[in-house]
Amino acid sequence: MISEMGFAVLIVLYAVGALGSLVFHKHNKIANVWQSFFGIIVACWGIIFSIGAFVLPTNLVFTADWSIFPLLNFSFNLDKLSTFFIFTISLVTLFCSIYGLGYIKHFYKKYDIGLLGFFYHLFIVGMLLVVSASNGLLFLVAWEIMSIASYFLVVYDRNEPDNIKAGFLYLVMTHIGTTFIILALLLMYRFTSSFDFLVIKASADLIPATFKNIIFVLSLVGFGTKAGIIPFHIWLPSAHPAAPSHVSALMSGVMIKTGVYMIIRLFFDMLPPTQLWWGVVVLIIGAVSAVLGVLYALTEHDIKRLLAYHSIENIGIILLGLGSALIFLVLGNLPVALFSLGAALFHILNHAIFKSLLFLSAGSVINQTHTRNMEKYGGLIKRLPRTALFFLIGSMAISALPPFNGFFSEWMTFQSLLVGLASTSILLKSVFIFATISLAVTGGLALACFVKAFAITFLARPRSSEATHAKESDLALSVAMGSLAVICLFFGLFSGYLSSWFLAIASSLQSLVVTTVYPISDKLVTPSGSGSVSALLFFIIFVGTALVVVILIKYIINQNQKIKIGATWDCGVNLGSRTEITATGFARSIVLIFAGILRPSTQQDIEYHDSEIRYLPKSKIINFSTDDVYRSYIYQPLKKGIAVLALSAKNIQSGNINIYVFYILIALIVASLLV
Amino acid sequence: MNIVFLQFLLGVLFLTIIFLHLSKKNSNSVLAYGLQSLVMALIMFDSFLVTPNFQLLLVIMVIVIVKVVLAPVFFMKLLKQHQLTFLVNSYLNIPLTLITLTVLTAVAHSTKLSPLTTIIPNHQSLLALALAAMLVSVFLIINRKGALSQALGILSLENSLVVFGVFAGLEQSPILQIGVIFDILIWLVIATVFISMIYKHFGSLDTSLMKNLRD
Repeated sequence: MISEMGFAVLIVLYAVGALGSLVFHKHNKIANVWQSFFGIIVACWGIIFSIGAFVLPTNLVFTADWSIFPLLNFSFNLDKLSTFFIFTISLVTLFCSIYGLGYIKHFYKKYDIGLLGFFYHLFIVGMLLVVSASNGLLFLVAWEIMSIASYFLVVYDRNEPDNIKAGFLYLVMTHIGTTFIILALLLMYRFTSSFDFLVIKASADLIPATFKNIIFVLSLVGFGTKAGIIPFHIWLPSAHPAAPSHVSALMSGVMIKTGVYMIIRLFFDMLPPTQLWWGVVVLIIGAVSAVLGVLYALTEHDIKRLLAYHSIENIGIILLGLGSALIFLVLGNLPVALFSLGAALFHILNHAIFKSLLFLSAGSVINQTHTRNMEKYGGLIKRLPRTALFFLIGSMAISALPPFNGFFSEWMTFQSLLVGLASTSILLKSVFIFATISLAVTGGLALACFVKAFAITFLARPRSSEATHAKESDLALSVAMGSLAVICLFFGLFSGYLSSWFLAIASSLQSLVVTTVYPISDKLVTPSGSGSVSALLFFIIFVGTALVVVILIKYIINQNQKIKIGATWDCGVNLGSRTEITATGFARSIVLIFAGILRPSTQQDIEYHDSEIRYLPKSKIINFSTDDVYRSYIYQPLKKGIAVLALSAKNIQSGNINIYVFYILIALIVASLLV
Repeated sequence: MNIVFLQFLLGVLFLTIIFLHLSKKNSNSVLAYGLQSLVMALIMFDSFLVTPNFQLLLVIMVIVIVKVVLAPVFFMKLLKQHQLTFLVNSYLNIPLTLITLTVLTAVAHSTKLSPLTTIIPNHQSLLALALAAMLVSVFLIINRKGALSQALGILSLENSLVVFGVFAGLEQSPILQIGVIFDILIWLVIATVFISMIYKHFGSLDTSLMKNLRD
């Protein structure tokens, strides 16, 4: 079954899932069970199929013989890179579908469940086709399926006006990105006379270096917009939170990686030889995206927007690995290039896992509290203990704390950057110093951000009646979150074994083909062998320390102490939710350090008991917000410019037939002269 | 017919379009158009003499009926019906119009457009002049404010296109040509009715004034 037939089964079953959801759209329960059942079953098959295809000695290359247009071939190439992405998509889909079984219930009688299932399955099919298509036009069709289906999922909760706005912004940005992608594909077609990726790969030498550079820029903007790199990210913090939580998990965990997939496919597989400045640009964009992404996350008190900004940060970290790999490739240091690309691939998988876990946990919280505002949470650890535990594991993983998976991919990225510090070129050395500092700062800030997110959400006392009356979520939700949490730990513990898998993917790409056999080891080792980290050792130390602390406290320190329950010393003030630190207050000190970038603004409204003397304040409201510099300095001026241009263009429409014929004459003469 | 005579006929056709640009009387313009259509029919007749095809002869006869007889008669009747001193105003004055005509003719003869004019190398000068006639006809539509002059511009453009097609050896099948002629006949009837209605309602045929209809 690990053949083209197996892949066809995968796509067809998702199609059946989509159509069946529509058929049963009038029966909420059946539609829910249908879409979740097919989601789970087909995702399981996707995982089995991708692993099977991965271990095959040759790539699965095939063309479906029902092409309608001469340039559009339904050709697929399932190499190691593609199967890795199919595995990642299927893995996340599996747990999102399990989660959906319980989560979708709150949409009953509110929205059409069948429609949700239809677009959910269509969205997954779109992603699978994107990472397996081997023809430019087929790829564009798949890209559009993915984008349009995800748009309808973003606006699914259409009673919220903000969601409609977010969907519109997403649709506009995604199509601006697609325009750049089309231009890049057309340029490749111009020189290779084919849209087939394998043909383009074989005749990439026909593309002049200048045009390769143009293709690089166009692709980076096009795919970077989907990946959410700064400054093309503005759609992401609005669109991802707007979708239902299990879809947010898929969008943030997997969809944005399709942009990264194409960046890898183009620059490592199809268009070598690589240019040095490509790597430098990718590295700088990665560093900027990582730092700014986490900084904006810190300012957020909307839990899903916070997680969405962390996606930008993590895409930045992935780009740091890719940028390093491109640079080392040009410098001829293949082992480090491989290691860097392996780090990026590992982080792609890790981020997909822990970000899905965090979005699903956030969904569980939102389901109970009916708000995304973290200021309305508090004390949920007692009411949603399982969710709290899973969110904590996700937070530790994204903050790169061992023994969870996030630590190990970031460690690999760090090691790559540290090798770059030894560059002889001052420019490269500076870029690597900048990237290393960015990654270090990002790690620290991410930890601070998740201390805030976890503490404000789960610790202290409830700050709203919804939080007070919250209950643990459905079993399906817990199973999905729990499984992802276990995988976070599993992928961390076995990172040493997994790394050989990533290095095998990296070495299968055209520019990195090496015959080196990577030893399978329980620990991660740098290419030079000078550094290593053992996840199992970490785990043993971690568990051992925890045991020692528990034994010390329980059996030695507290041995003769009895538990006394009494009032907390409170300076004479009753402790309540109003005395707790808020998310905004927690982040304020860090935001002020980066005031130059974030441009925070504070507005104070004070009401006095004695309005004339203004000595006794009655209440004090502080509005602390940060300016969206991209909106203010890039997109708003751009919008104004386009509006002015549109008004000028209106003058063309004069209503005079003579003018219209004049345009025709000019066009005729110009076209004749050009042709 | 020899090539010199064909050149002469094409020259006459081109000059009639120039005349349409300069003419200040509508009746003269209509007569010039009739002459132009006759010249076009003669050029097609030459094509018939080279390759005798009675279907082509039928086409030529229809052309003569529609373009040489019916169209001028329609327009003349229209002029008489409204006792028209239809507008022959133009956007550019005579000197500027002549300069533009010269530029367009030069463009048509330029080497940049040689891929078009060398479709049949022996006919290069003829094709260049036919192309110039096309551009000059389009300019007639642009430069004139009166609806009748614009209608004559469109018909001249059609004549120039046919002539270009003949010299380039691009004649289509006679059935298709009859279809095109029928199309023109219908267009002529509709245009005449519209021109008449526009004049009745607005007392003017200055299309530049009709832009106020937008609101």
